[in-house]
Amino acid sequence: MYITGKALSRRTVLRGMGTAAIALPFLDSMTPALAAPTKSPVRLAFLYVPNGIMMRDWNPATEYEGKFQEFPRALKPLEDYREDMLQLGNLTHNSGRALLDGAGDHGRCSGSYLTGIQVKKTTIDIKASISCDQIIANKIGGQTRFPSLELGMDDARQAGDCDSGYSCAYTNNLAWRSETQPLPPTLDPRVFFERLFGDGAILSPEERARQAKDRQSILDFVTADTKKLETSLGPTDKRKLDEYLSSIREVERQLEKAEKDNQQINPGMDKPYGVPADFAEHFKLLTDMMVIAFQSDMTRVMTFLVTREGTSRAYREIGIPDGHHPCTHHQNKPDLMEKVSQINEYHTKQLAGFLGKLKATKDGDSNLLDNSMIIYGAGLSDGNRHLHEDLPTLLIGKGGGYLKPGRRIVYRKETPMCNLHLTLMERMGVPMEHFGDASSELDPASVS
Amino acid sequence: MQGRGTVKPPTGITFDSDLGNNIDSFLTLAFLQAISAKGDSRVISVSISKSSLKAAQAAEAITKFYEGPPPAGGRGFGGGVGVNPEMVGLADNGKWSNVTPIIDAVLSKKAADGKPAYPWVIGSLLDTADPGITMRNILLAQFDENAVAVLDGPCTDMVGLMELYGARPQITAKVKYLVAAVGAYPGGAAEVNVKSDIASAKKMFAEWPTPIIVVGREVGEALPYPAASIEKDFAWAPSHPIVDAYRTFRTMPYDAPAPGLAAALYAVHPDDGYFRLSEPGTITVLDDGQTKFTPGAGGKHRYLIADAAQKEKVIQLYTQLISAKPVPRVITGRGRGGRGASGAGAFGASGGRGVLPPAAITPAPPSAAPVSK
Repeated sequence: MYITGKALSRRTVLRGMGTAAIALPFLDSMTPALAAPTKSPVRLAFLYVPNGIMMRDWNPATEYEGKFQEFPRALKPLEDYREDMLQLGNLTHNSGRALLDGAGDHGRCSGSYLTGIQVKKTTIDIKASISCDQIIANKIGGQTRFPSLELGMDDARQAGDCDSGYSCAYTNNLAWRSETQPLPPTLDPRVFFERLFGDGAILSPEERARQAKDRQSILDFVTADTKKLETSLGPTDKRKLDEYLSSIREVERQLEKAEKDNQQINPGMDKPYGVPADFAEHFKLLTDMMVIAFQSDMTRVMTFLVTREGTSRAYREIGIPDGHHPCTHHQNKPDLMEKVSQINEYHTKQLAGFLGKLKATKDGDSNLLDNSMIIYGAGLSDGNRHLHEDLPTLLIGKGGGYLKPGRRIVYRKETPMCNLHLTLMERMGVPMEHFGDASSELDPASVS
Repeated sequence: MQGRGTVKPPTGITFDSDLGNNIDSFLTLAFLQAISAKGDSRVISVSISKSSLKAAQAAEAITKFYEGPPPAGGRGFGGGVGVNPEMVGLADNGKWSNVTPIIDAVLSKKAADGKPAYPWVIGSLLDTADPGITMRNILLAQFDENAVAVLDGPCTDMVGLMELYGARPQITAKVKYLVAAVGAYPGGAAEVNVKSDIASAKKMFAEWPTPIIVVGREVGEALPYPAASIEKDFAWAPSHPIVDAYRTFRTMPYDAPAPGLAAALYAVHPDDGYFRLSEPGTITVLDDGQTKFTPGAGGKHRYLIADAAQKEKVIQLYTQLISAKPVPRVITGRGRGGRGASGAGAFGASGGRGVLPPAAITPAPPSAAPVSK
């Protein structure tokens, strides 16, 4: 460690002209000389994919528990992370089921996913419950610039009927601040970027276009502050800072490219300004910024609604012009099942990119992935039959040393998904006696 | 919300027992499945309060036997045991209980081809669910006051259900009453279902949120399942799990005391005059396991009284239903859809199996008059 006279504040921000404000990653210089190393905080992110998964491609052909054996097709892209993840079997959201509310599994399952309750079937007076991420954010969010961040890639409508009488508020949000207040995800990477590195001002599309015309890198605004800071850093910290700022610059480049592409593809498009047309690019932009947000401790809690329940997004990038949702109602027709398999695989391929970035990012003595708990999953298992049991669930990362990944764990049937949520809340420092229909935390011996 | 646009189905029955500890538990499961197939009620969950994988397998095997072959072209049953067709709620105390001879009689019986005569698919604890969660999850899918809980074993699982966070209001809303074959009334020596978990029995009688109708040991003794039926009524079946178990339980001929059966019959047909009911009161469980009934107008408990005038009718009903030949199932309406399908079967408005037309079960000819020992 490079010993300096005074430790740098963990909250140090690079400031410059205009609205620029760049939080810093954790640097050695932030630890007082000769003090015990500071333990990195644990980060939590939920990534949700809709319309269920082809379960034959998710679960092993022959059931087993313990160390991963052969990776089924949907998980193949994640093979490099076999030692970093837990696959959890048999978790169930009973509150996503019809019970007495009839059709609307898509609306219910996303509404209940993090809230743990059966949402009210309505398009008007919506009612869910505070979601587990927000319970955590309420407790620990004061330690970071943003208590939580919510992202998505699909539809942001908050009203209207999105599934058999269920409000779009249920399908288009994962995070709920209260029983009537969802937290809509940010879809536009440019807006997210400005949120992370600006002063919070929301720019109009016209203002944004004007700025884009003579856009400079945000790093240019903080050059003086950066140089000043560098004089007090050791070589390791300088390299860390350089890598960090380069990652921000890389995001900027991607944004600029997306914006340029959007102009060329369709100048009159009503798509948000910075949203790339390509799914993978969009996913990468958002998750690259998630990494930065975690790295700089801007937040410790994020939700990412990859796409929304019932989405009919086509995946032309991989040769699938059909809508995702119609494909999932495949009625066992091989061609449609194959398309769903390809979409599932495409999603996990993007996830692999995100995990790679987290793993490559130093954080304290280890890396961001080791200090995170990333939950990747869906609110339905079999999308064809709308099943709410054995929900596809990956718990990725080591949770700061709490989790012992590298295994497939199968719980008893009907084990509430809320048991996982209780476990995560406890690990994030927010122990709760009850949540949703949880019966207990997951057996600690199973995950740790 | 009460199932918008859906028709209220027959009463849903949750059945919890220490299955396989006595023949009564097998008979009760068989009776409930048979009467369910007739359309008079629906078995919505089966759970077992002893830690025995073999008991869970036997529950599945017996249920499948009574359900008969799957419908032609169908993928499976629209519900079946518990919330999934193959699922049984099963207690897990970390150690398996010994396999009782009657369980073994069912599971070890082979067909001519050497395969199990009464097949099952449950292979491990992971194929089962916690009993309390099993009952809670399926109760949530029932119309208000359209479920009855039947208990023929220790009170452990009912307390487990009651103790789940938020479950009590749901029990109050969904369960009309609990019919429990527990204790002896109006008094008597401690009964086995109480003795095996006195703490739970105390808690259940003190805190269970709905009325409780208890069926004492004396009712089971007054209305036994007759050996004569076993000898005569099952001739149509090359092999039958109830016959195999019954013959194994004790040396034939014997008439099996059947408090669980009486509990099941009352649960399904409370108003048909098969039994008399005590005045209301309160049951307390003493430290030695004895049950004490104290009459009182505000009490939530009553006990069942066997009516000698109804004995022949009751036993005829038992024997007809339990010995009836299952017929291929016809899944009607929303019952189709297989395990856990939304809006159908287990978790649809109906919950449990699809509703069968009354003709879906063929009554066997009545047995001779009950044989007394």
